[in-house]
Amino acid sequence: MRRRHVERRRNDGLIVNSLVDIALSLVIGFMVSMPIFFENGIFVSAPGVAQAGGAVPAGSDIKANIFLANDGRIMLNEVQVPEDSLRVLLPRLLDRSVARRVVISNEELVLYGDVIRVMDMAKQVGANDVAWLRTRTAP
Amino acid sequence: MSLKAAPNLDILPMACVGLILVLIMMMISPMVVTHTRTPVDVPAAHTGQREVQNDISIVLTQTGQYLFDDEPVATLEQIGDLVAAEIARDPYILVVVRADRECYGNQVLDVLSAAKKAGAVRIVCATKKLTTKS
Repeated sequence: MRRRHVERRRNDGLIVNSLVDIALSLVIGFMVSMPIFFENGIFVSAPGVAQAGGAVPAGSDIKANIFLANDGRIMLNEVQVPEDSLRVLLPRLLDRSVARRVVISNEELVLYGDVIRVMDMAKQVGANDVAWLRTRTAP
Repeated sequence: MSLKAAPNLDILPMACVGLILVLIMMMISPMVVTHTRTPVDVPAAHTGQREVQNDISIVLTQTGQYLFDDEPVATLEQIGDLVAAEIARDPYILVVVRADRECYGNQVLDVLSAAKKAGAVRIVCATKKLTTKS
């Protein structure tokens, strides 16, 4: 009888530490993993329609026009550049620009994910403003 | 001087309630935080900004279906009308375009153009956070 009473008293003292540890681990895991679930966004200047090769509005600022072709070619100011070089050349171009504006246009069959990849890269290398234009014809 | 006996606080129910609250929060928050309940495989990007504010979302699924705040919409003209109605209420409302990354860029441009024509001035292309270096 006495032994059973002692055992019961021993069980009364529940170890909450482990429970608190689990809860804390869950909270930390939750905090770390939440950014994966969050959606962010890239601000895009309202799109317009640009005639490829058409008249560019007069201005003294250096332009950074990126054109994405269906076959994966990337043209920076009408010069074909590999994507790795674009990452190097674009910041140099933007450093000389006041507005630091990048204008992206694409051919019909370019996937949205590819456009966003280039937009993201432009933002990463210091573009203040990214505009996405529609082109009627390829350059 | 006599030592007072420590009060016997029953902390277990409180811990259990806390744990359950954490679990509920973990399950609900992704649904609350994303702009709509429509699952779309938005492209990943390093430089996305997070804007937690009143917004409207236009979804473009991989199959080319349009949704405006989770409600299917047949045409871009209807989207334009709906955006215009929201813009009339709040001219600076954020328009979030959630398009599947496998869509064609021009399809998304059509949506952006419709939003612009309707008067939207703040347009965001939804992305998800890219954690690894591309």
